[in-house]
Amino acid sequence: MKGIPTVLITVSPEVSAQMRPPRALYPKGFKIGNSLGRPGMRGLQKQVLRDALDLFTQNTRPGETVTLEYPDYGEQYEPPRVRKL
Amino acid sequence: MTISRKCVPFTPFDRELSKSTIAIVTAGGVHLKDQEPFNIADELGDLGFREIPPDVDSSQLMVTHHHYDHTDADQDINVVFPIDALRDLQNEGVIGGIARKHIGYMGYTMQLKAMYEGTAREIANEIDKGSRADAVVLTGG
Repeated sequence: MKGIPTVLITVSPEVSAQMRPPRALYPKGFKIGNSLGRPGMRGLQKQVLRDALDLFTQNTRPGETVTLEYPDYGEQYEPPRVRKL
Repeated sequence: MTISRKCVPFTPFDRELSKSTIAIVTAGGVHLKDQEPFNIADELGDLGFREIPPDVDSSQLMVTHHHYDHTDADQDINVVFPIDALRDLQNEGVIGGIARKHIGYMGYTMQLKAMYEGTAREIANEIDKGSRADAVVLTGG
């Protein structure tokens, strides 16, 4: 099994962490449905995409989610939490 | 091959990004307007996926998914499926190319085992064999 390198862009970091993604970016405060930002904000979308792609060449720790802030996004949202049983 | 539930299936990336071909796989329910929509009437979820070609006009994409608010994606699909943003990065030389095949599926299911052992493997196979992707960007809603 060779495998394909992947990077996840997540807006539900606690939820996605349960699947232990090898590389993940959480754009802080982005709401569900806005993984790359808001409609029409191509510059922001490109920046988020580029930051996610850059995780391929950075020495990230497998399973760790990297959180980055994007002030241009505007209003911030709380991500969904995993319910503790 | 069974993967341990505790293991992180990490595949190293040993290329240069500027020479690499990238595919997008989204759980955001994205598909072409002329493809069959995902079946949101099935409460167990739709285990299928749709192939999206590299030269797609992003205005021809839509979302069928009833477990997140896709109003913004309806206006601009790039908020969940950044194909135009990826093209910009190709034009700027950040990445080498756009993969021949991209995938949309509906990331909601009550059939986790079938999704994990069936759909996920089929998607990986499509990307591995058919897309010539060196790496994959995954997005949710």
